[in-house]
Amino acid sequence: MAGGAQIAAPAPPAPSAMGWLAATDHKRTAAKVAVAATFFFLLSGVLALVMRAELAQPGLQFVSDHTYDELFTMHGSGMIYLFLTPVALALGLYLVPLQVGAAQVAAPRLALFGFWIYLCGGLSMYSGFLTDNGAGSDTWGATLPLASSGNTPGVGMDLWVIGVGLAVLGSLLIAVTILLTIIRLRAPGMTMLRMPVFCWTMLATTFMVVASFPVMVVAMALLLAERHIGGIFDGATGSVAYQQLFWFFGHPVVYVMFFPFVGAVGEVVSTFSRKRFFGYRALVVSLLLFTALSMAVWGHHLFILGAVPNQYYSLTSQLLAVPAGIEYLDLIATMIGGAIVFRTPMLFAVGFILQFLIGGLTGIIVASPPLDYHVNGSYFIVAHFHYTLLAGSLFGLLAGFHYWFPKMTGAMLRERLGKLSFWVLVLGANLTFFPMFFLGFEGMPRRVADYAPRFGNLNLLSSIGAGFIALGILMVLANVFVSLRRREPAGDDPWGAQTLEWSTSSPPPHNNFGAALPAITSYAPLLDRREAEEPEREPRGAEASA
Amino acid sequence: MKAGTHQEFEGLFSLYMAIGIGVAVLVFAAVGFALVHYRARGDRRPSRVSEMNRIEIGVATLILLIVAFLVTRTFTVEARVDSAPKEPTTIDVTAFQWGWRFVYPGQGVEVIGNSNDEPTFAVPGDEPVHFKLTSADVLHSFWIPGERFKRAAIPGRTNEFDLDFESEGTEDGLCTEFCGLRHSDMRFNVWVLSKASYRRWLAAHR
Repeated sequence: MAGGAQIAAPAPPAPSAMGWLAATDHKRTAAKVAVAATFFFLLSGVLALVMRAELAQPGLQFVSDHTYDELFTMHGSGMIYLFLTPVALALGLYLVPLQVGAAQVAAPRLALFGFWIYLCGGLSMYSGFLTDNGAGSDTWGATLPLASSGNTPGVGMDLWVIGVGLAVLGSLLIAVTILLTIIRLRAPGMTMLRMPVFCWTMLATTFMVVASFPVMVVAMALLLAERHIGGIFDGATGSVAYQQLFWFFGHPVVYVMFFPFVGAVGEVVSTFSRKRFFGYRALVVSLLLFTALSMAVWGHHLFILGAVPNQYYSLTSQLLAVPAGIEYLDLIATMIGGAIVFRTPMLFAVGFILQFLIGGLTGIIVASPPLDYHVNGSYFIVAHFHYTLLAGSLFGLLAGFHYWFPKMTGAMLRERLGKLSFWVLVLGANLTFFPMFFLGFEGMPRRVADYAPRFGNLNLLSSIGAGFIALGILMVLANVFVSLRRREPAGDDPWGAQTLEWSTSSPPPHNNFGAALPAITSYAPLLDRREAEEPEREPRGAEASA
Repeated sequence: MKAGTHQEFEGLFSLYMAIGIGVAVLVFAAVGFALVHYRARGDRRPSRVSEMNRIEIGVATLILLIVAFLVTRTFTVEARVDSAPKEPTTIDVTAFQWGWRFVYPGQGVEVIGNSNDEPTFAVPGDEPVHFKLTSADVLHSFWIPGERFKRAAIPGRTNEFDLDFESEGTEDGLCTEFCGLRHSDMRFNVWVLSKASYRRWLAAHR
């Protein structure tokens, strides 16, 4: 290196607010992303509640048509670009270095830079509400020519385009640091096939991010140019080309918001079944197969265009049932033969498995073009993807959150409040989204502020459900608040877990591991150690049932 | 004569639903069994078995066979639904912000309406109708829920399809591609008539 400049070893972070903001420790960067993502989750959730209030009865009661268009656009954009995608990556940013026995993430400054870029993107998107024409109002993906400056004039839409581009770029940078960590920073002995299940799901996730997110950044840059200069997405070809670019990102991102939670649920299920994950190698193969297929299914969003080879995308999309089926088999087989302990993380994990199934099976239905010809663009689709993203991914996130919260903070969450919030959320999710299958099937389209009076009752039911979801989320927040105020110390390993992060202190020190790492003998090193110590006896922790 | 999109849809949908419900019942039962039977009790020791690749391969093969079956059925049905031979009755449909224009070529008949005044166009109920669909401005989508069918309306491009309306009466249709401010109100009605009534309707609208 020129001049022989030495890079100083990272100093322990200063306790000031500025020090916290500038700290490059992966755990702090992950916490910043998670806090920002939670902020955007609550904002976007409030937008959903306003929508459900409007939709509770036919007719327009609270908002205008245009406001409603902003609401569903910003709700969808907020949840996807600013909440589920970044929070999934934040979980990886926090856990992957710990799980592979690394002291830091690779390229920690890049990860921090990614956070700031993402935050700027989120603020840009939401600041559209302060402009004359309001925030973006052309759905979470926008279409052309609708999103041209002529059809959707205004700075708010530009802020949306810039915001989405930045948020996606920020997520991309964070994902790159996770991928590099897995490739470069695994501890000695941590071979690829000894990485925990969660790390494998993150590896698959970051592959998809690296392959698809740059396309979206470019698509947003082109869309901005189209709005101000024009001549890029001309005519029918341009309109279809924009959709191709968007969905080339838009479908893989769905699995980016899913895989990390499969991994989290896998860890939770094996820990609370007191058993190592079943079918590890089959899972690895299925994840890689899933990742490969995920890059070849985007056209199933375009079946009704009559402009893509429907049969090809139908085939690739339905083939996803094979790796998905293996994942389900492995999760269930991990429970079978176990000694299952019902703590809050396990409840959310089971909720994820069963509710996501409804989203997955209806996904096979919409992967068949003649069936999609009916349900595309209807509330059936809204029901389908909320079963995957809310009843699925959000439950998976909460499983992981309740599981790793003691590790991240050193304090346990309240068990009774946690279980209560789970049941309230189950009630809310199903009451909100199950009626939407019938609404869509009977002819109610998406993205409308008003609907035919015959859909009134089911919509009312759905709106009541949304209230329960809000209540459940408030209970989760209350749980966090109470548990941090009156701390019940967690200790290093409150659950009898299996992976490396549970061998260090809670929260982990600046460089993650104070003492030497335990021997890395498999993807469940702590379980190996317990089994070696107590070959014939009941493993510790099984009696810790609540 | 080919079946209408409605019957084609019902046949395929009930097949997917039957398999979907079967799988759901199986998974719910397996999870329920695991949670009840393998819950932690005083003397339960967790099994140390963690790999059975024969089961993995078996399940993967089974799912592959189901997928192969479903995809084959999908392709067969789609080929029938997508085929759009020339029919005696052709209607040119143009979607626009925020309404619809239906032109009967060679008949001198045109129906037009917007979000304030929903258009109603007539079709003969006893023969297939050939549609040519396009858009005048942004993307729209032409959905008739009763026929279980929709197609995108793309500016600068024409999509062609056949629909076979069977039962006489009125069906409602609407736009399902978000297209701006009055998207919610972009509706139309289809009046399915007997051949004789349809001819009278055409004559009355010339």
